[in-house]
Amino acid sequence: MKRLFLCSLVLLAAAALGQDAPTMKPVVSMAPAPLTTITQGKASQVPLAFRVIRGYHINSNQPKSEFLIPTALKIGATTDIIIGGTDYPEGHDMSFAFAPDEKLNVYTGDFQVDVSVRPLRSVLPGKYMLRGNLKYQACDNAACYPPKQLPVSFEVKIAKAAPAPRKNPAQSPHSHK
Amino acid sequence: MKRNPLVPIVVAAIIAVMLFAGIHSARKNRAARSPSVSGQVHGKDAPDFELQSLEGKNIKLSDFRGKAVLLNFWATWCGPCKIEMPWFVELQKEYGPQGFQIVGVAMDDSSTEDITKFVREMGINYPVLLGKEEVGQSYGGVNALPTSFFIDRDGKLVAREFGLQSRSVFVDHIKEALNQGQPVQAQK
Repeated sequence: MKRLFLCSLVLLAAAALGQDAPTMKPVVSMAPAPLTTITQGKASQVPLAFRVIRGYHINSNQPKSEFLIPTALKIGATTDIIIGGTDYPEGHDMSFAFAPDEKLNVYTGDFQVDVSVRPLRSVLPGKYMLRGNLKYQACDNAACYPPKQLPVSFEVKIAKAAPAPRKNPAQSPHSHK
Repeated sequence: MKRNPLVPIVVAAIIAVMLFAGIHSARKNRAARSPSVSGQVHGKDAPDFELQSLEGKNIKLSDFRGKAVLLNFWATWCGPCKIEMPWFVELQKEYGPQGFQIVGVAMDDSSTEDITKFVREMGINYPVLLGKEEVGQSYGGVNALPTSFFIDRDGKLVAREFGLQSRSVFVDHIKEALNQGQPVQAQK
């Protein structure tokens, strides 16, 4: 048993020494977005889940310096599906080995961005693919990497709106004469 | 139960192979990633280039021949780059009289005005040039910032450093660069 334990320790040490240095791998990935059903003419929030790989951070949407590049999502505009506001999560205030006295506002690990989508009433019911990019700029504890664009795509299902309630026809004041 | 005498030998051999593979891979990664990969660049000619300074002058690397040069690739959005800059300001003051020159290359998409504002805020006392991708490529690709190259007085590479390093690492490389090659005065 003791021997097995020692062997495990040695193997773990070897594995740790041999770990790959994550240099040019994509730092951010997007989880497949669930299909969101949206009614014609109504706005709905579509949640998009992203993950920053371990050991890296990216600036939040509101970094604390004008020189830092904020994480920003841009969805391509369509004529009859309106992309409204984008809700970004608050970042974490963190300090890093390269700037222990300075707090940076960053995203690490998993974070979610909500996009407001509003199809016009004229949009035909069905599934629509929306595409865009998440711009981010990543750093690790010792270096920073040039800004990157992560392709983003998600599908929405447009459902038919319930028929509008009938309004009473406007009455002419002359009809009462 | 009788023990097979071969088992411990096989286990030891497996562990030895894994340790060797682990250490070999770690060394390879370390060399590829950062610190001193000076072995790979030492003695090679530093590729010459011509870039525009923040003041609009065209400056060539070869204009500094006869001086030891620290060529520093950086960007305004790079936190670790900001940490090095005050050291560079001091090092320029300290070693400048001995024939040392820092040259910053901003690998930014920001406007010249924004870079100039940043440079003023940081109190940078050495020339900053507006970087181009092809210049980075000629130096093997500058994929991580900061990246610094140390060049001797003859224009030969002495060392290269990726990512934030300690001040003492810079001092060592600067001294090495100053001690190699011919100073300007000796050239005829």
